[in-house]
Amino acid sequence: DNNSNNTKPTFDFKSYMIQKADSVNQALDGAVSLREPRKIHEAMRYSLLAGGKRVRPMLCIASCELVGGDESMAMSAACAVEMIHTMSLIHDDLPCMDNDDLRRGKPTNHKVFGEDVAVLAGDALLAFAFEYMAVSTVGVAPSRVVRAIGELAMSIGSEGLVAGQVVDINSEGLKDVGLEHLEFIHVHKTAALLEGAVVLGAILGGGSDDEVEKLRKFARCIGLLFQVVDDILDVTKSSKELGKTAGKDLVADKVTYPKLIGIEKSREFANKLNEDAQEQLAGFDQEKATPLIALANYIAHRQN
Amino acid sequence: TSSSSSLSVPSIQLKSMHFDLKTYWATLIGEINHKLDQAVPVKYPEQIYEAMRYSVLAKGAKRAPPVMCVAACELFGVDRLAAFPTACALEMVHAASLIHDDLPSMDDDQSRRGQPSNHTIYGVDMAILAGDALFPHGFRHIVSNTPSSLVPESRILRVIAEIARAVGSTGMAAGQFLDLEGGPNSIEFVQEKKFGEMGECSAVCGGLLAGAKDDEIERLRRYGRAVGVLYQVVDDLFKAKTQSEEYGKKKKKGKSYVAFYGVEKAMEVAEDLRANAKKELDGFEQYGEKVLPLYSFVDYAAEGKFSIDD
Repeated sequence: DNNSNNTKPTFDFKSYMIQKADSVNQALDGAVSLREPRKIHEAMRYSLLAGGKRVRPMLCIASCELVGGDESMAMSAACAVEMIHTMSLIHDDLPCMDNDDLRRGKPTNHKVFGEDVAVLAGDALLAFAFEYMAVSTVGVAPSRVVRAIGELAMSIGSEGLVAGQVVDINSEGLKDVGLEHLEFIHVHKTAALLEGAVVLGAILGGGSDDEVEKLRKFARCIGLLFQVVDDILDVTKSSKELGKTAGKDLVADKVTYPKLIGIEKSREFANKLNEDAQEQLAGFDQEKATPLIALANYIAHRQN
Repeated sequence: TSSSSSLSVPSIQLKSMHFDLKTYWATLIGEINHKLDQAVPVKYPEQIYEAMRYSVLAKGAKRAPPVMCVAACELFGVDRLAAFPTACALEMVHAASLIHDDLPSMDDDQSRRGQPSNHTIYGVDMAILAGDALFPHGFRHIVSNTPSSLVPESRILRVIAEIARAVGSTGMAAGQFLDLEGGPNSIEFVQEKKFGEMGECSAVCGGLLAGAKDDEIERLRRYGRAVGVLYQVVDDLFKAKTQSEEYGKKKKKGKSYVAFYGVEKAMEVAEDLRANAKKELDGFEQYGEKVLPLYSFVDYAAEGKFSIDD
């Protein structure tokens, strides 16, 4: 009995990431072409193709593949989720919001194109995400596409992403912000769209209701995990390492996990969330679950 | 019917004079306002819902997009219940566009529909987020509330694509950008993008929901676009007459037919648009009296009577 013959080849997460990011970048590049009026489309492309890590699209595709779908079924949703993530960053960086000059290591959208164009480019990306999903999803029954569009809309609106932003803005400078309040912000501001990405992938890939709900729980945990890790990085890393303004949460007097419970407890909490997340994957084919497990570990241990 | 089209046109126009537009509108607007009120309930965090409701439920809103959507759906004999969720969504995305257009970095308008604009009440940050929330809220409303017994999912996908295209980077956002930028773009192009798109999209969505044929959809497209621009030209003419000095100042940042061509020529443009819109409707002869609301909608837009009871 030769042991090495029975051992599965170890999953190469790095090349998986690179390969998926490549296909997503290619799809995004093709989806938002340089049409008239050029300046709006340049502004959309500037932020969309600025080389993000494509974590959300990857989650979407991995989730689709886990329930038995293939990459092409989830690609339009993966792109839509990234368009909306980008749009929320463009609007978040505006002077009337977080007033950021730097994003993904480059000047923010409004710094390059002006505030008016930045608002419009964000609006256009938001609208196009829905158009793209509705028009360009292939190999999936219309009923599933409609359901996925409903999920996407819920995760980014006043019950999702926007709710988190509103409570976040209202919390600046508040003295008594508890854990529950902080969790509301993160569950909505960050986790909702990550959840959306995973749930969209599961729906489009043909997952059963039970599978979709398990993956929803998985995504909620890693969404919160994502933000806890972000908070930790914000106080422990420099701007150069992060590609964005470090320590800005402290400067803006924003409440964070390290501020509320300390760095050590924050790290423990992150580990617990990662465990809880991976528990949800137990019932699935473990080989197919490998990318999601690796993604959860990546989110937990990333350095920027 | 054996009547030729050259005979049927005046007969339909004659009938449209007897069509009780005021009752039709008043009833429909009442239903739409009720549904919009339910469609945006207040939850935590209240502030954002209040900002959304402030613009969506504004008293001065004419509800032209939802009314056109419902009327276009009913043209093909499909119950208005099929169209209400999309009609409400049109009003939401329309409100979202207007909120963002009014921002200080855009048109910098302090008032809208006779009320303070959204950002002057809720702040620029909340106004941006209210707009950002209203777009997806509209799409979600369509998906969650359109009766599947009346509308198959494939049609819902076409409706969502149509609305997204209309507000997007080649539609209303393009119009707003070209308007802000000034430059050599023709006034016709900017006005069609800024105001024609919403009318076009509203009429087309009504047709899509009802399962209209492709050539009928294209006809609704041309009709809706003409009425959308007509509505704006007449509004410009009305404002030019009633508030000439203030109007001249406020419109500096944007283009209007009146400012560009003068009153005479703008009136000619309005007459052409009115005639073109009606000519498109002549192609719906086979639907008989069901086309009357869309006919009278043209006259309503052209005559600029904007004071139907709220």
